Amino acid sequence: MRTLLVWLAGGLSLVGSSQAALASGWNMPVGVTDLSREIYNLHMVIFWICVVIGVAVFGVMFYSLIRHRHSKGAKAANFHENTTVEVIWTAVPLLILVGMAIPATATLQKIYDPSDAELDVMVTGQQWRWRYEYLGEDVAFNSNMSTPRAQIRGDEERGENYLLEVDEPLVLPINRKVRFLFTSDDVIHAWWVPDFAVKQDTIPGFISENWVRINEPGIYRGQCAELCGVDHAYMPIVVHAMEEDDFETWLVERQEMAAEEALGVDREWEMDELMERGEGVYGSICASCHQVEGQGSPPAFPALAGNEQMLADIDWHKDTIINGVSGTAMPSFRTTLNPVELAAVITYTRNAWGNDTGDAVQPAEIAERLER
Amino acid sequence: MAPKVPPQPTLEQSSTAAEAGHGHAHEAPPKGLMRWLLTTNHKEIGSLYLIFSLVMFFIGGIFALVVRLELFQPGMQFVNPEFFNQMTTMHGLIMVFAAVMPAFTGLANWMIPLQIGAPDMALPRLNNFSFWLLPVAFGLLLSTLFMPGGGPNFGWTFYAPLSTTYAPPSTTFFILALHIAGISSILGAINIVATILNMRAPGMRMMDMPLFVWTWLITGFLLIAVMPVLAGVITMMLMDINFGTSFFNAAGGGDPVLFQHLFWFFGHPEVYIMILPAFGIVSAIIPAFARKRLFGYASMVYATAAIALLSFMVWGHHMFVVGMPLVGQLFFMYATMLIAVPTGVKVFNWIATLFQGSISFEPPMLFALAFVVLFTIGGFSGLMLAIAPADFQYHDTYFVVAHFHYVLVPGAIFAIMAGVYFWLPKWTGHYPHERLSQWHFWLSVIGVNLTFFPMHFSGLAGMPRRIPDYALQFADFNMVSSIGAFLFGFSQLLFVAVVIMCVRGGKKAPAAAWGDYADDLEWSVPSPAPLHTFETPPNYQRPAH
Amino acid sequence: MWGVIKSVLAAFLGVQKEQQRREDFEKGNPMAFILVGIIMALLFVGLIALVATWAAG
Repeated sequence: MRTLLVWLAGGLSLVGSSQAALASGWNMPVGVTDLSREIYNLHMVIFWICVVIGVAVFGVMFYSLIRHRHSKGAKAANFHENTTVEVIWTAVPLLILVGMAIPATATLQKIYDPSDAELDVMVTGQQWRWRYEYLGEDVAFNSNMSTPRAQIRGDEERGENYLLEVDEPLVLPINRKVRFLFTSDDVIHAWWVPDFAVKQDTIPGFISENWVRINEPGIYRGQCAELCGVDHAYMPIVVHAMEEDDFETWLVERQEMAAEEALGVDREWEMDELMERGEGVYGSICASCHQVEGQGSPPAFPALAGNEQMLADIDWHKDTIINGVSGTAMPSFRTTLNPVELAAVITYTRNAWGNDTGDAVQPAEIAERLER
Repeated sequence: MAPKVPPQPTLEQSSTAAEAGHGHAHEAPPKGLMRWLLTTNHKEIGSLYLIFSLVMFFIGGIFALVVRLELFQPGMQFVNPEFFNQMTTMHGLIMVFAAVMPAFTGLANWMIPLQIGAPDMALPRLNNFSFWLLPVAFGLLLSTLFMPGGGPNFGWTFYAPLSTTYAPPSTTFFILALHIAGISSILGAINIVATILNMRAPGMRMMDMPLFVWTWLITGFLLIAVMPVLAGVITMMLMDINFGTSFFNAAGGGDPVLFQHLFWFFGHPEVYIMILPAFGIVSAIIPAFARKRLFGYASMVYATAAIALLSFMVWGHHMFVVGMPLVGQLFFMYATMLIAVPTGVKVFNWIATLFQGSISFEPPMLFALAFVVLFTIGGFSGLMLAIAPADFQYHDTYFVVAHFHYVLVPGAIFAIMAGVYFWLPKWTGHYPHERLSQWHFWLSVIGVNLTFFPMHFSGLAGMPRRIPDYALQFADFNMVSSIGAFLFGFSQLLFVAVVIMCVRGGKKAPAAAWGDYADDLEWSVPSPAPLHTFETPPNYQRPAH
Repeated sequence: MWGVIKSVLAAFLGVQKEQQRREDFEKGNPMAFILVGIIMALLFVGLIALVATWAAG
């Protein structure tokens, strides 16, 4: 059994490497992990098996169509069954399938072994962004598409990485086993980076796992692969894979930033500061549903500009943003945004587009509310 | 006490009544619209089904062209993403439930009584009801497009919670429409199964039945088995949306993955519901134009049954990336790979039928041959998708879109068209216009391949499905696909022209319109088939060759 | 009994001698074939499950 597996794996990689040159742009990427390479090889082997069977089957078919034409006076033979032939063409495909199932099973077993991970990253799908949380490292951030809407509309020339660029890429070290824990805050999304051959649905209420060990540093791009609503096309994934030292430096930097942000909770914020911060948060988090000018797109996404309930009841407003509205598309932002961001975006929505309430909501107050 | 059963005319009574020229029990048939509303004749109901499905084919086709128009180049040009999602969803729903399924039911209505020598379907009034549910169902479904918040926008697979908590308000209408369509399918299936099991001509055993009848018998059982599952799952959605239950809502203790298990337990057999009758049609056409008896009739029957059986145990292959235990993953991978064996047997049988035949290329044969080649290509990509690790890369990309369109468009739809060309002489008494049919065929073949072949490449290169806008490296493939789609779409107008011309006139067809090897019972009645046939059951004789 | 099992196995494979098939249809008891068919189908599902469990280790 073992020798058979080794032999098959050897054969597979031989076929694979001869094909790698053909790959770019028309074929599945070979990718940058051992598993992505194995999957690529499986793909090429099953592809060539199909090609060979196809050539044989269509060969016989077209031979018959050309040679046994009525118009050329072909006389029909009179056979209509042959047990030997039928047994052969049932048994041969069966054997080919068994031969294919063995390496596929071996690869699957490797994929299903997330043990000994050196880094855990929680990936949360949200309409329509990804949130990454480095478990136990106190680093977490949202990753939004950064392609400007003007490029989508065609008012600006489209960049090289159109729709495949984000404000904050996921940063990972190479040569380390990174375990992903996938979940979702709203609908089902799917996190997919072709170069890692990792595609996993993120399901609300469930946590599924997968892992990757990247061999080469670089920037790898992917997209959400499960229809998740209006902006399904606009939640790309960008992974920046770094040398281990660079990754450690980056991680420390991010930890310091997070600590600094935490200090901001306790101080008094000016209206202007809150508005400026709030506009940024609103643009990346809220605008995809409630629109840049707060006009919403009813009935699914109510307008915020001039929203009477929201303006009359500040308590309800805070509660809605922190806890969401169950049974609707409005999610809870309790974990997605920190107290500063929450306070800023509440302040912004109460004062932008003619909502001139003058309310300045302080981060400290929100922090206290979150504790309750 | 005797049970109260409505009086049922026996076969002898009804045939004598008919012989007496619309006898005492029958009033004069209503005229105009009422004739079609009230008809219980299997041929008229068959025509209604076919016309309905053709109309829906064009409506679903227009939705597809809106999608392809938007995808012609990157960026948003013509529609917004919200409307785009409604178009992809409606295209899928209409094509599956309103075009392909009713087309096969229509063919079954027309041909099964003729092929088994029965005077009509077993339950003619139920038959009328089954059909008239369809315009109601799909009128309702299409009307959701004009409702506030728009129509369904969550894909034809309507995964919860996108289709429940996050769905537009019109979703309740969508559920109702699907319920009505489901009832129509179940009733239609019961009728077909009852007809086949009870109304065969004396002397016709099961293993004498034409393969179209066999495949429909098995399809009928599949429908009866899985449509209630669909009804169950959409009822659970209905409860989640309107009555505060949490079947699929994780926040309330429900399970979004349960939805997918239920949906695909229906969905995978549904795929075979759309292809098995196609196998039956092609198995009738190939021997007719190869002038040679079908190779391996019995193994065709067994293979159909095997495919149907396996279709119940492979639903998990649609869920490889959901996150299943390894054992589950392996089980579904092995079971799925096994389907290749009976499917292969079918293809080999067709080719063995062609081998050393005496082949001519009339329009039905052209479509049947294209079916064999292109369906097999769809089968190959299906085999690739069965390999679970590779599916992690293929899943939810255009590779999948290419795969299922290859099995459904040049698969199911080409087989339906082949069937229509094959049986048009029987329905109308005229042969379809040869030159125009050939144009229709070649433009369709070119269009279909131009549309769907590049999708293999865009999928492998990493383009996810159901996106209204895409990265620049997919632009060339999409442009070719869009051009192909418009070519294919507009060539279908030729099909309508051929059918209309054929109804109006053309070369007269004799009873046995396609020669000695198209020798099932339908070819023993005159062309065009009179409104009432086989009022006295024919004595079935096994074909000589 | 063994004959029925053999015929059902042949049907699973889709290959049967014409003569044997004719004999089954003329002399055989349909209920026996259906029953054996259902049992074998269940066994078949069990077999795949078993192989999958074994392969999963």
